Amino acid sequence: MTLHDNPRSPSASPEACLDTAMHAVDNKSATFEDAGGSGANVQRLNPGLAADPVIWAEPKTHREEKMKKFLVALTSAAVALTAAAASAEEPKRGGTLTFSYRIIAGHFNPTIASGTPTGIPGTQLFAALLRFDDEWNPKPYLAESWDISDDGLTVTVKLRDNARFHDGKPITSEDVKFSIETYQEHHPFKPMYAPVKSIDTPDPLTAVFNLSDPHPAILLAFSSQLGVVIPKHVYGNTDNIRQHPQNSQDIVGSGPFKLKEFKPGEYIILERNEDYFLEGKPYIDRIVYKKISENTSRVIALEKGDVDLTAFESDAPVLDRLKKNEHLTLTPDGYSAIGPLEWLAFNTKRKPFDDKRVRQAVAYAIDKEFILKVLYGGYAQRSLGPIHPGSVFAPKDVNPYDYDVEKAKALLDEAGYTPDADGIRIRTTLDYIPAGGTWKRKTEFVKAQLKKVGIDVTIKASADFRAWIKTVSNHEFDMTMDSVFNWGDPVIGVHRTYQSTNIRPGVPWHNTQQFQNAEVDAVMDRAGKELDRDKRAALYGEMQKLVVDEAPIAYLHTSPYHTVFNHERIGNPPVDSIWGVCSPWDEVYIR
Amino acid sequence: MTNRPTTAPENGPEAVRVERPVVEFLRMYVRNWAAVAGFIVFSAIVFAALFAPVILAVDPFDMVWMPFTPPGQDGYILGTDNLGRDMFTAIVYGARATLVVGGSAAGLTIVIGLTIGSLAGYYRGWVDEVLMRITEFFQVLPPLLLAMVLVALFEPTLPTVAIAIGVVTWTGVARLARAEFMRIRELEFVKAARSIGSRDRRIIWRVILPNALPPLIVNAALTVGIAILFEAALSFLGLSDPNVMSWGKIIGDNRDYLLDAPWTVTIPGVAIFLTVLAVSLIGDGLNDAFNPRLRER
Repeated sequence: MTLHDNPRSPSASPEACLDTAMHAVDNKSATFEDAGGSGANVQRLNPGLAADPVIWAEPKTHREEKMKKFLVALTSAAVALTAAAASAEEPKRGGTLTFSYRIIAGHFNPTIASGTPTGIPGTQLFAALLRFDDEWNPKPYLAESWDISDDGLTVTVKLRDNARFHDGKPITSEDVKFSIETYQEHHPFKPMYAPVKSIDTPDPLTAVFNLSDPHPAILLAFSSQLGVVIPKHVYGNTDNIRQHPQNSQDIVGSGPFKLKEFKPGEYIILERNEDYFLEGKPYIDRIVYKKISENTSRVIALEKGDVDLTAFESDAPVLDRLKKNEHLTLTPDGYSAIGPLEWLAFNTKRKPFDDKRVRQAVAYAIDKEFILKVLYGGYAQRSLGPIHPGSVFAPKDVNPYDYDVEKAKALLDEAGYTPDADGIRIRTTLDYIPAGGTWKRKTEFVKAQLKKVGIDVTIKASADFRAWIKTVSNHEFDMTMDSVFNWGDPVIGVHRTYQSTNIRPGVPWHNTQQFQNAEVDAVMDRAGKELDRDKRAALYGEMQKLVVDEAPIAYLHTSPYHTVFNHERIGNPPVDSIWGVCSPWDEVYIR
Repeated sequence: MTNRPTTAPENGPEAVRVERPVVEFLRMYVRNWAAVAGFIVFSAIVFAALFAPVILAVDPFDMVWMPFTPPGQDGYILGTDNLGRDMFTAIVYGARATLVVGGSAAGLTIVIGLTIGSLAGYYRGWVDEVLMRITEFFQVLPPLLLAMVLVALFEPTLPTVAIAIGVVTWTGVARLARAEFMRIRELEFVKAARSIGSRDRRIIWRVILPNALPPLIVNAALTVGIAILFEAALSFLGLSDPNVMSWGKIIGDNRDYLLDAPWTVTIPGVAIFLTVLAVSLIGDGLNDAFNPRLRER
């Protein structure tokens, strides 16, 4: 198995790709392309944005001018987006939408794998119980109505009566039960359905979920790729659903589109489901999902109009170039549920990072503004704590660790790490994800920054992505750059990084920092069972203050993911949901 | 230089002026002005590399000024790179890594190539068969790809890079050494050495090798240039030690910004070009000086 072998793959979504690649192994159909990608491109970095007063004091006039230009460009992009949204025209039926992604999955069954390469086509083929708008509100989908009992221990879901699978059989509560049980058994996100004790099916359209504890994320878990319904009569006939041939061919789905053709490693063609349960939808006849790994090729395809829509674009040079095209719109919307964060993690069990003051000193010593403005061209957002800034639980009033060299030095002094004859206090190492130039540049930047406070960093280059995963998941690191997704609700994607019970060597993205704090455990425990959103927000506020102060991680920024679409061709692009492109495209139409 | 068939005149009024081989070699070398220029350039680069910490007592990884300051502005004669590191410092320090990798890779090439080539050429027969099949195996592998695989398998550090380059470039030296050994082993003085009972080891080391050296030395000089280019290519692809500044690394780090800050890529490119050119010219000069057929020119 080889994950991300390509050393030049983009600064994309390692986490998004991992499950796909792993599953590809299960299926014995692994191709290196499954997790490939490339970052060759033309960088147009704006030197004017590097206006860091600490390093360079002299103001330069052309710098301000360029900043102004940049702001104008940002505004005009926003205007274009509003204009596109405001033109309330009737959606048209027909047409083909061409979508391109750098990765194509080995299968499209979201009940057994996470990862966006499975999720994007998976949510077109399979309908979930619920869908979410862009403000975290649940909306009916396969479920007509739902009800959570006052004690939070019973969730009753009523299905719509006109929903049928692609083979014509009705979608029943038995299928719902089967699907959620498949998630429980096979999906990597164990906490997601962990509180579901049993599922009753009193009648074909009613499913009753009996929970051991109240589960605040249960409705979110019912949406997008986390809660799709698969037919029991198709996928229930095998002992090992992971090996089921219909995970990738002859898929019997429940969603707005049917699988027409799948050429592994190259493309997927989806066609309209004529018997879709939502009247008159979907609007488009056909979706062509094409794999284009090379950034430059994808950019050219977008510019030529060969591709109408791409997602998870993150390279500043690519975004800069696409932004200049008047037919295209770029938007960071549609990623708040996935919640991608990038940070610097410490091995809190190794010296010197077993000392909180050293970890805090490192956090202070890094100039985050430089990373955001220069390395990410202004496309990424600052992130201050464990939860993504796009979430309702985003951190508030936490210590931002603003760049402060003196404070960092003072903390190191306090911790007893005084400079030796060469001015060096600490010698340590730093790992990074071998996934493209930006990761490496960021790592070298941090090395230079830490030198200023007397920390001598040796950068450790991993041979490939798998080697990095192995190093980090087995705790064989001092510090590492990392990228972790929130996956909708803190219960699913945040708790795992901080729970002292989730230190599982060898498993990717567990509590690799080996952070252990009883108070944090207790608060998360309560927040994970609290149903009231405001009370939860208070608990997560408390949790984040504790964690940010303990600093097992130096929080840096969000991943600069953008969805790009041709606004002259596409109406209702799939960005008005917290799940973005991982939500059903049944309202998208071709102008 | 043993066994050189020079006959010293005993006496006589018209005594032929006799040169010591070293002097003769130098005279031949100096006659090639391009080779002299190459030597001067290369010496300057080696000097800069050796005394880098003395000339510039700074860390090439320090971010000193605004990123992408053009050459000459604000006192930075070669400008700054994408993280605001001084290009001049980076070039001077980069010479160290570049030369160390180039030199040790070339050394490794000579050691492996000479060992295999001399054994194959001297013993011939099945030894030759086996060793040459091994050489051919390495010859048909795409060298850059093999070097990439080797570096990726182990951690990308300077020794790994040097070894990877050495492993992929020795085949030419092996074939050259084999040909020289095959030719020389049939000459009279080798037969003479054998007839007085010299052992194989002595014949290989003391009799044949000194006579086979000249073309190998020329080849070694050229190999240094090839190794430097390999190092640059690997660094360009991101397969180099991120803790060591080298010219290839500077290019690799900045290649995304080629259109906005061309100097960040062209300056280390020129440095590589000059070094490889200088080394090639030296190799050319050595060839002239060693090759008797060119002496009458």
